[in-house]
Amino acid sequence: MDRTRAILRKAAWSVFTIFFVIILNFFLFRVLPGDPARAGIRDPRLNKDAIEALRVRFGLDKPVINCFETLNPIKVGSCAVNPMETQFFIYIKNLLQGELGYSYHTNRPVVDVLGERLWNTILLIGAGQILAIVFGVAFGIFAAWRARTSIDYMAVGASLVAWSLPTFWLAILLLFWGSTIGLPVAGKATPGMSSYPLLQQWGDIAKHMLLPTLTYTIVYMGEYTLIMRSSLLDVLSEDYILTAKAKGLNTVQILRDHALKNAMLPLVTVIAINLGFTVAGVIQIESVFSWPGLGSAIYEAVVRRDFPMLQGAFLLIAVTVILANLLADLTYTYLDPRVRVE
Amino acid sequence: MQITTSPTPAVPSRPASGLLSFWRSFSRSRTGLIGFWMLVIAIFVAVFAPLLAPYERGASTSVQIDDIYQPPSSAHWFGTDDAGQDVLTNFIYGARVSLTVGFFAAFISIVIGGVFGLVAGFFGGRWENFLMRFTDIMLVIPDLPLTVVIVALTKPSLWNIIFVIGILGWTTTARVVRSQTLAVKSRKFVLRARAIGASKFHILVQHILPLVLPILVVQAVLAISLAILNESTLSFIGLGDPSAPSWGQMLNFAFGRGAMSVGAWWALVVPGFGIVWVVLSLTLLGQGLEQVLNPRLDTHHLMAGRPVVQKEAGAKPIQSDVLLEVQNLSIHYVGEGKAPARAVENISFTLREGELIGLVGESGCGKTTLMLALLKLLPSAGQIANGKVFYNGNDLTVMDEEEINKIRWSNISIVFQGAMNALNPVRTVGEQIGEAILKHEPSFPKDKLNARVSELLELVGIASDHREHFPHQYSGGMRQRAMIAMALACNPKVIIADEPTTALDVMIQAQILELLDTLRKKLGLAVIFVTHDLGVVAELCDKVLVMYGGVTAEYAEVDVIYNEPKHPYTQELLKAFPDLTKPKKKLSSIPGYPPRLDNLPAGCRFAPRCPAAFERCHTDEPALHAPQKDHIVGCHLAEASK
Repeated sequence: MDRTRAILRKAAWSVFTIFFVIILNFFLFRVLPGDPARAGIRDPRLNKDAIEALRVRFGLDKPVINCFETLNPIKVGSCAVNPMETQFFIYIKNLLQGELGYSYHTNRPVVDVLGERLWNTILLIGAGQILAIVFGVAFGIFAAWRARTSIDYMAVGASLVAWSLPTFWLAILLLFWGSTIGLPVAGKATPGMSSYPLLQQWGDIAKHMLLPTLTYTIVYMGEYTLIMRSSLLDVLSEDYILTAKAKGLNTVQILRDHALKNAMLPLVTVIAINLGFTVAGVIQIESVFSWPGLGSAIYEAVVRRDFPMLQGAFLLIAVTVILANLLADLTYTYLDPRVRVE
Repeated sequence: MQITTSPTPAVPSRPASGLLSFWRSFSRSRTGLIGFWMLVIAIFVAVFAPLLAPYERGASTSVQIDDIYQPPSSAHWFGTDDAGQDVLTNFIYGARVSLTVGFFAAFISIVIGGVFGLVAGFFGGRWENFLMRFTDIMLVIPDLPLTVVIVALTKPSLWNIIFVIGILGWTTTARVVRSQTLAVKSRKFVLRARAIGASKFHILVQHILPLVLPILVVQAVLAISLAILNESTLSFIGLGDPSAPSWGQMLNFAFGRGAMSVGAWWALVVPGFGIVWVVLSLTLLGQGLEQVLNPRLDTHHLMAGRPVVQKEAGAKPIQSDVLLEVQNLSIHYVGEGKAPARAVENISFTLREGELIGLVGESGCGKTTLMLALLKLLPSAGQIANGKVFYNGNDLTVMDEEEINKIRWSNISIVFQGAMNALNPVRTVGEQIGEAILKHEPSFPKDKLNARVSELLELVGIASDHREHFPHQYSGGMRQRAMIAMALACNPKVIIADEPTTALDVMIQAQILELLDTLRKKLGLAVIFVTHDLGVVAELCDKVLVMYGGVTAEYAEVDVIYNEPKHPYTQELLKAFPDLTKPKKKLSSIPGYPPRLDNLPAGCRFAPRCPAAFERCHTDEPALHAPQKDHIVGCHLAEASK
């Protein structure tokens, strides 16, 4: 019963956080200086009427919210306006219907564009994250087991360097190297591949994914190695490991049955917290390799000052990260018996 | 009744102040020093940029189209960039921008995070609730995308970037500072300051801040490196300040303006190298600082131990009814660049079937070290420097890991002190007992395993339905009992009980002792009972080995020890122990502390505290004397009395 309550409380907290993000996301784009329409649509050929028409099209003619004259950059409307007619409530209403507005640049619904790109990003993060975890955990275990030997020092040194690499720079270096050995370095697929059999298409995508995934793996592997190492070192100096050793268990049995589960617990939290940072990495990797995902969507939106896209992408990313955190929290609750009962 | 154990020497409640002592302990960390000097070089380059740069900032060498992307040459060591500018010059000036952003943004983050953390931790209550909830929210919102959004919406000027990175980077600092403040708040000197009525502000600034400061420094180092990485990312995606070209911006221009297609690697490699240099230096520095604040030995129970000094097996002892025979065992702790600490020296004893030997001595006299050495469970710094351990005539000290694993638990098992941590918290007690059975009897029928585990638990008085519970669901006494059940799992011949009753209340202590005695009689176990409780020894043991500072003080039958103790230490111990037959006897404790292993007195280790010490005791180590059969005394006086 307590457990259900704990889960509900955590879920409620996540919902509250998402609500906070929605409000933040709305006001960021209205409060900060600059008329969104003027900033986004910078075409000198547009005359006043055309701009006004665009404002109406993007809903920018309405007051931001009731009674906040200062938040209303174009000073249209007043407290007398029906609250449901303000930009804020229209934004919320649209959100509830799954609408994120229209891209300034392509004029397409933001939801459609993001929907196409979300899967590409999940593909990239999924592959990279799995590889980074597998290799990071493996190296971390090895380094901790062989603590204070040259293997350990090498693993720690390499991890510290990997952690210090700016993601986009590593991506550039790998792109440079990839282009010299003939690997595809841009996009998700070779143009015209869609007429080929499915298996070949997948092979082509895999080839395109190789370098972005490698970048991702290297960048995050170092951190996982360091965390796994220090977590395992903590566990291995616990009394119960001495008990296990006194019981006559050998090294492999001790690691497998008594150390790994305990040492993996902190990693679960770190992986979740990392998802936030992961997004930062994805923006860089995707923009270097022109991988058509959310990260490059943000990059393009920044370059083109396409605010509805930027707003939508940020919301999607923030919500995803919040939910991932919730998931990690629940996983942790499930894995650690000490938390489970409390 | 326990021997009056010495209080640990007063730990300073505040860190030794002074930069010098901090630097001294910091300079012991090699990683930290490397990072420090790397950072010093980077700061040097940034400060003296105008002197170091070969060209003037922003100057194109000429306006010829040929000057664009020139490869490295004697005129341009690192070539030229997309505007024909010298890469080295821009690289040197880029250090200024990156470090400026790093330091100022980190400063903002640290101030906000520090204030939030201190206030939340110190004042608690509603403030804490509000601030920490807010921190939790900000912690899950991905900060780089938010930074990108805000900088994209505002003006991408250098100070704008610094400000945005700064006010978004405080969350971890707030959390860390809060928990440190909470920890410091309940320390004695803070409570004392509160008790004498110091103002809250005074306590915060005078007592708490100094202890939180080191953590703030570590956080600051991390915040600087994160800020520099974030700035470079912002610049790379085109949100940098055009008037202050940073390394990230150099990369943005080179990457966006065809360096890749003309193969101008120098324009891409050099600026990135700068970022790696600075971030790596800060990371190493942070690691070094962390090591000073939370020193970790990086040792664990699976690290390879030191090989025994005597590698050949000893000759089999003659007495055949002896189960375990320890001969002249010495154990040293070996550290790099230090003389070995002689933790245990020249200990001998024998154990017959069904016998119970008491091993008595103050804390830190090497009892546990001795017990761990019997099964070769010493920590990696521990080394069997001399002596032999025979079990059933086989020399345990020379066995390899695989051989000794067969002896461990199935023949000799251990009940550890403080079973609190001796059981794995994430596995059920039943699983942990069953595991030992399966390890040593792989053919044990799986369907009978649960029944056997239940039987063992019931033997020690735990209802079998607790089998599937986790250790934290047990009380302290139950855990100790479960530990005993586990020790019995493989029907061992010898059980080592290492202070099995410390930290338990008197009633439970008595129950557990009674249980051990019953089991010993019922199952014919031989027991080594490690304790500092002479009462228990008198009640249970057949023989007693009194240890002092790692050496044998006295070894004899229990009656001899109680009635004719020869060693002054044994005599003093008995004076500290109430005797029911002489109720009016005055109790006295032994003044002074046991010796420290790294600072052993010359001569007899007990001499400084010994009431009977004479000249020779301070110069010569006493040999072991045998005033009568089966009575060994490590004292010069015993020689005289012979």
